[in-house]
Amino acid sequence: MDGMTSSSRTGWIAGITVTVILFLLPIFLGQLGKTGEYWIWVCTEMIIMALFAMSLNLILGFGGMVSFGHAAFFGVGAYTVALLMKKANFPLYLALVAAPLVAAITAAIVGWFCVRLLGLYFSILTLAFGQLLFMIVFQWYTFTGGDDGLHGVPRPEILGPINYYWLCLIIFVICFLVIRMIVNSSFGLSIKTIRENMERAKFIGINVRRYQLLNFIIAGAFAGLAGGMLCELNRFAQTEFFHWSKSAEPILASLVGGMYSLAGPAIGSSILIFLKIFLQQVHRSMVEIWAIVLGVLLLIVVLFAPQGLVGLYQNIFRKSRS
Amino acid sequence: MTWQLFVFMLINGLCQGMLLFIIASGLSLVFGVLRVINFAHGSLYMIGAFLAYSLSTVLAGESLLGFLILLMVVPPAIALIGFVLEVSLFRRVYRQEHLLQLLLTYALVLILDDLVRVIWGGEPRSVTRPELLAGSVDIFGMALPSYNVFILLVGPLIALGLWFLLYRTRTGNIIRAAVSYPDTLGALGVNVSWVMTSTFMLGCWLAGFGGVLTAGLSNIDLGMGMQTIIECFAVVVIGGLGSVGGALLGSLIIGTGLTFFQLPLGRWALVFPYALMALVLVVRPWGFFGKPER
Repeated sequence: MDGMTSSSRTGWIAGITVTVILFLLPIFLGQLGKTGEYWIWVCTEMIIMALFAMSLNLILGFGGMVSFGHAAFFGVGAYTVALLMKKANFPLYLALVAAPLVAAITAAIVGWFCVRLLGLYFSILTLAFGQLLFMIVFQWYTFTGGDDGLHGVPRPEILGPINYYWLCLIIFVICFLVIRMIVNSSFGLSIKTIRENMERAKFIGINVRRYQLLNFIIAGAFAGLAGGMLCELNRFAQTEFFHWSKSAEPILASLVGGMYSLAGPAIGSSILIFLKIFLQQVHRSMVEIWAIVLGVLLLIVVLFAPQGLVGLYQNIFRKSRS
Repeated sequence: MTWQLFVFMLINGLCQGMLLFIIASGLSLVFGVLRVINFAHGSLYMIGAFLAYSLSTVLAGESLLGFLILLMVVPPAIALIGFVLEVSLFRRVYRQEHLLQLLLTYALVLILDDLVRVIWGGEPRSVTRPELLAGSVDIFGMALPSYNVFILLVGPLIALGLWFLLYRTRTGNIIRAAVSYPDTLGALGVNVSWVMTSTFMLGCWLAGFGGVLTAGLSNIDLGMGMQTIIECFAVVVIGGLGSVGGALLGSLIIGTGLTFFQLPLGRWALVFPYALMALVLVVRPWGFFGKPER
């Protein structure tokens, strides 16, 4: 199942090649003037959302727990950065350190309740907590700006579009390696064991709730970091970051990319964002029907390829080899 | 608080609750039999409201007859959409894990909500109430909007109808058997997949009915589906997934709660359904009338 996680040589070569190309990409795009600048922005967003999707997949694909409230931690990260930088004049790097910490604390509180429930009930409780936080941010005008959101988050001067892209890419690569390490560690193996057979995991002495909670917190922390990075990219934080439809985005990305692989969600997320922007460029009216396109795509994946693109690729690859 | 204000608020709260019940009971019924949480239930409800709007412009519906025609025509139309969806899509995922089921219904939300936007546009709309229901009724010397009183009367009728259908008819016996022992039911020669289809259609009929009633009560817009489905989740979670009686209790709690908390809390009252939903899930995940997980 975990084709990309095995420390095979091809995996490393592919990873390094992709990273190098991604590092050189903005230099090429920078030559293209306005359009290039726009695409650098798009690519930065792709990287950030890829991190968000990977963070969710720690609980979804590896943990087997369907959270419909993951956007809450993304939102907490975004608002942490916005509030700290706007109201307390924190420098960016400190705000980006604080974002995952605050998100992790939130995830610890929410997760403590959620991991007590199984299956569908877990999903609904995460949804309930997510909407609860959404409503609080939505109503608390004096602190969060309510549905206006928080605008004008300051941007350090050295961070032009290209430099910010590189910063995000470096953070992403580090996070990718850390998540890879987590997934392959004994902790990651225990999480997968719980997904496959919770009873057996209990029998061999794994403290199921504690492992799930820890996993939930780690996932929340990475989501918070992604939220903080997106907030700085757009220079605003808005209540939509918390909404449950935002929680669905990384789930779709994981499904499209393949949730039983490490890179699948990142690939799926990038493909979905690219497809959206691409359709938008083809014709402006395509934006109107983007949700329909996405919905149909999702239907096809659910009905015909529930393993996602990575799963499809692995199936074809294995068949052609044998 | 004077007792008149209290009664006034109580009636408004119950009215909101009844409306919520009509929609949420459909969601709960469908979950009970199909074991699928249908995110698209809110979208079907929204389509019902917009269909009612379109039809009312054709019928020039200020007459009571026009409004009754809406109530007769729109819900079956939504049930028909439900039929198509169940037979072509839902049926394929009953044996899949629940993530795929949830995502299938979520895909339908994306498609249906966007279709509504493409067809009807983003402006808020409303259906003119029939003359007979546009005024107000004097109760204990208070002027209550007669439309709210109408909903307050229709809601219990629907609840009674559902109770009769589920507990006093052979169809109801079969539906309840399908909730508890679908395999045994199949072995006894009942066409279970047809039971599932009809239950789904009944759920959609209720969503459509709620949609028509909402269109007369307040403005309808593109956000109503998403907002209502979450409120319905709260209702069915509080009452117990799959229990229609629970949906009634949950709806009335949420409806009256929202109204009464608005006085001291203002807009913060909107937090109440989610807080209560989270609380119930933490303390008693299967809700008031539900059964613990099998």
